[in-house]
Amino acid sequence: MEDYKTYLAENILSEDKVVTYRLLSRALRVHPNVAKQMLHDFHKTQSSKKPGTVYATYLLYGIKKSVQNHNGNAMDIDLPSSLPDADPVDDEEVPSYTLVLVQEERLADVLKEYETISSIHVYSVGPHPAKDLTLLVDAAQSALAIKDDAKKPRPRPIVNSHVRRRERKGLGLEAAAPAKQESKTKAAPTKTAPAKPSPAPASAAAPAKPQEESKSAAPAMEPEAPTATTKKPAPSLKRNTSAASGIMQAFSKAASLPKKAKTSEKSITAAEETPAALSDDGEDDDDVPLPKPGAVSTRKSKKEREEELRRMMEDDEDEDMEETADSPAPEEEEEEEPVVEEPPAKAEVAEEEEKEIVTTTGDGRRRGKRRVMKKKQIMDDQGYLVTIQEPAWESFSEDEAPPAAKPKPKVTNSAPPAAAGKAKKPAPKGQGNIMSFFSKK
Amino acid sequence: MVTLDEVLGSGLLQKPSGDAPEALQRQITNYKPLHTFKLEKTRPYQQQYADIYFLRLTKIRPAVEAAASVAWEGTVLGGEKVKRVERVLDVRQGELCWVAGTVYMDMPLKPSILEDVSKDRWISAPTSVGHYYSGNGEDSVMLEDDSGRIRLVGNALQNHFMVTGCIVAVMGTENANGEFEVIDLLFAELPPQPERWSLSKGKKEADSSEDVEMMDASFSGQSHKPSSKKIALVSGLEFSNADTSYAMELNLLLEYLLGEALDPSVQRDELSHITRLIIAGNSISTTAAEQAKPAAAFDTTTVTNKFQSQNKKYGYDSSSYNPVPSQLLDSFLSELLPTMPVTLLPGALDPANASYPQQPIHPAVFPQSRTYMPPPKAGAGKDKDAPEEEEPGWFDSVTNPWEGEIEGWRVLGTGGQNLDDVFKYVESEDRLGMMEAMCRWRCVAPTAPDTLWSYPFQEDEPFVIKECPHLFFVGCQPEFGTKVIHGPDRQAVRLIAVPSFSETREVVLVDTETLDVERVKIVAE
Repeated sequence: MEDYKTYLAENILSEDKVVTYRLLSRALRVHPNVAKQMLHDFHKTQSSKKPGTVYATYLLYGIKKSVQNHNGNAMDIDLPSSLPDADPVDDEEVPSYTLVLVQEERLADVLKEYETISSIHVYSVGPHPAKDLTLLVDAAQSALAIKDDAKKPRPRPIVNSHVRRRERKGLGLEAAAPAKQESKTKAAPTKTAPAKPSPAPASAAAPAKPQEESKSAAPAMEPEAPTATTKKPAPSLKRNTSAASGIMQAFSKAASLPKKAKTSEKSITAAEETPAALSDDGEDDDDVPLPKPGAVSTRKSKKEREEELRRMMEDDEDEDMEETADSPAPEEEEEEEPVVEEPPAKAEVAEEEEKEIVTTTGDGRRRGKRRVMKKKQIMDDQGYLVTIQEPAWESFSEDEAPPAAKPKPKVTNSAPPAAAGKAKKPAPKGQGNIMSFFSKK
Repeated sequence: MVTLDEVLGSGLLQKPSGDAPEALQRQITNYKPLHTFKLEKTRPYQQQYADIYFLRLTKIRPAVEAAASVAWEGTVLGGEKVKRVERVLDVRQGELCWVAGTVYMDMPLKPSILEDVSKDRWISAPTSVGHYYSGNGEDSVMLEDDSGRIRLVGNALQNHFMVTGCIVAVMGTENANGEFEVIDLLFAELPPQPERWSLSKGKKEADSSEDVEMMDASFSGQSHKPSSKKIALVSGLEFSNADTSYAMELNLLLEYLLGEALDPSVQRDELSHITRLIIAGNSISTTAAEQAKPAAAFDTTTVTNKFQSQNKKYGYDSSSYNPVPSQLLDSFLSELLPTMPVTLLPGALDPANASYPQQPIHPAVFPQSRTYMPPPKAGAGKDKDAPEEEEPGWFDSVTNPWEGEIEGWRVLGTGGQNLDDVFKYVESEDRLGMMEAMCRWRCVAPTAPDTLWSYPFQEDEPFVIKECPHLFFVGCQPEFGTKVIHGPDRQAVRLIAVPSFSETREVVLVDTETLDVERVKIVAE
């Protein structure tokens, strides 16, 4: 508790920043009221030691001395256009309180204007007289940016135990919970990791937990430069699990998919802002982030794969795309992210299995993104024209197929999605066809 | 008058005490939104707009005629008895009669679609014209119904607000010019008002009887009962990237609502009693791209003047897209939502549809606050959603206008476009009077679809007020105002004109027991 003096001295005097009580309360994890007292105390002691070094702003709340009553409505005198029932009286006098932020130089003057003051406290302390409010605004904004340590939540002045949050229809909450714990501790170097898996699985747990997670997730998603890249994974992950919960149950490995997506997105340096997450292909945004991390990771791994391919082709003419594609990809990821080892490999598999994301818009059409194999021809540096098969996401929109046409986790080679949809219906391939049972007769 | 010495050393102006104060609990209010203004997602736009007028007339005409017959039946003027006439065209010259119909204001300054089309002007958005009222005698008032229309003249017209779309009954006679000289005018008056708690049955009345202790009169002489709950009303927050003059006040507002600011006594007595926040429109302001282009140096995403024209594609300049305002709003809400439920009405500047009734803002706009909204319904929403039985979300994004029940009181609120449009028709500036007039006309948006863009309703016209609300608020007004009006049947309505926060920095607090109003002004010098 006593370290607040050192904290304040450091920030205000050395770093030349303005410290508001909110900033202080979040930084030191104390109740805001205590923080206000701290600020006042610091200001007093500092001013007595060296006057003029710190300047405070105060927040007052009270009733101003009423200036003469004015009509709320400026009646037009020419045409008394009120209805016959209403008499042209003034607005009723409603009690009017004022909340004012004032600098200490003006404090005495402002106090004179008030009839009663119900509350006064220090709002902020800074090294310079606060002429410009933008400094305060920045300080206020930076207060929001301080992340909440989930283990020790900061005291909130007013809580509401009735708060209802959206149920996260995550899969296997129990199974994911231990995963969440370990990933939390594991991802100490990557501070964003605990925020991500935690919103994903354990949301429908006790309300206290989601509160913490949101506190950690919410500050984690502030639009700051270092966290810009993580902003996308965070909303995408949230939407991940909330979108069409039916999918999640179908793909039990999809939990590792967010982790994989996160790691692959880190390697993407382009700070794609939320507009990217807001999807430019106009799809129902619930299903966008799920394929988006998928698409992104496929892009990335495709690039890696291409490079590996080229390398391979120079060394050894024998190429088997799929095998080499899969192995370098987890390798690459392992090199970059030594922390998360297993999940990428698992997620790679999971991603392979994730063939189709469907949104049930209920319009009578099925829409979504489907993963299809596309052929790509590249000119090798040796002059060879190479054809590579790459999985890519494609959006489809078709009439509601009967529920039997669930996406089967097998690789289909057909490009047109309509054909892909039809391919799911057992085309007479002989063996896998139920009709073969009858045809033999 | 308070001096500095008095306050110094008291309250929070002292050394920090060692104990950490415990957190206060915020109470909840009973909240039940109605979906009166929700439109289907697959609504057609093929219909004609004339049906709206027909529906409105059919709904309100019985009430108007009942009131008129009570008032005028048996009246004898100049030896002639007043007769009721069925249709507008049945009025005969020289005959004293009364008839009911819809008012139509013929104003040359009104934007007219026929004019625009004939002059080949293309409008993509509602043009904001100033007043339609020209005041030079060119405007004329007409009475219309399914049969025809007739022009109204007379001094009696000056005493009332008249806009297109209100249903009136007029008594008078036709003069030589073929115009109807009005002697008296009547509206439908306030509709029947339901009892408190009519929608939520079985609500326990225990809340109001809980508190026994009375706190000392703290500052204003009023003794606040500790359990008096309040609702905060604010509008016109107008989060914007460019305009930061009120950014500090927005921060202070957040702290005020969160309860972080101010003394513990105030926090206990006042701030923890605010149980819900209703934002009545205009939360996001348009970016300054529409202002002088040379000054566009505020954002790294906008390109310089030279290149701006290159970004225009299909008439939409994508470089002018600025996500920051909605992000600011989202972070504001996500800070506030853990402690307070919020109801958000869209306004004229918000990302919702442009025509009345505006549909709720989509959750996609709020990536962080979205967790407090109800999850999207998995499954076909082909038929009209029937979420009435579901619990409303903690963060409720609702239509504009909006009707609901809070703590038993029926509440009707709009984002301000209806009142602003009515304001353009009349010469006075009495906004509260216009709100009162709308209640008495029983129509919340009478100028739709004439000058207020609206959906062509076919089966039901929801703008007609069927049950009188207890509280009627309109957001985004230039000034605060409040009044209580009474109806002939013991109805009482509290009208509140909520001022735009970006202009006036004011928040309105409504007591949920007495419907008393307070206002809080935030100043950052």
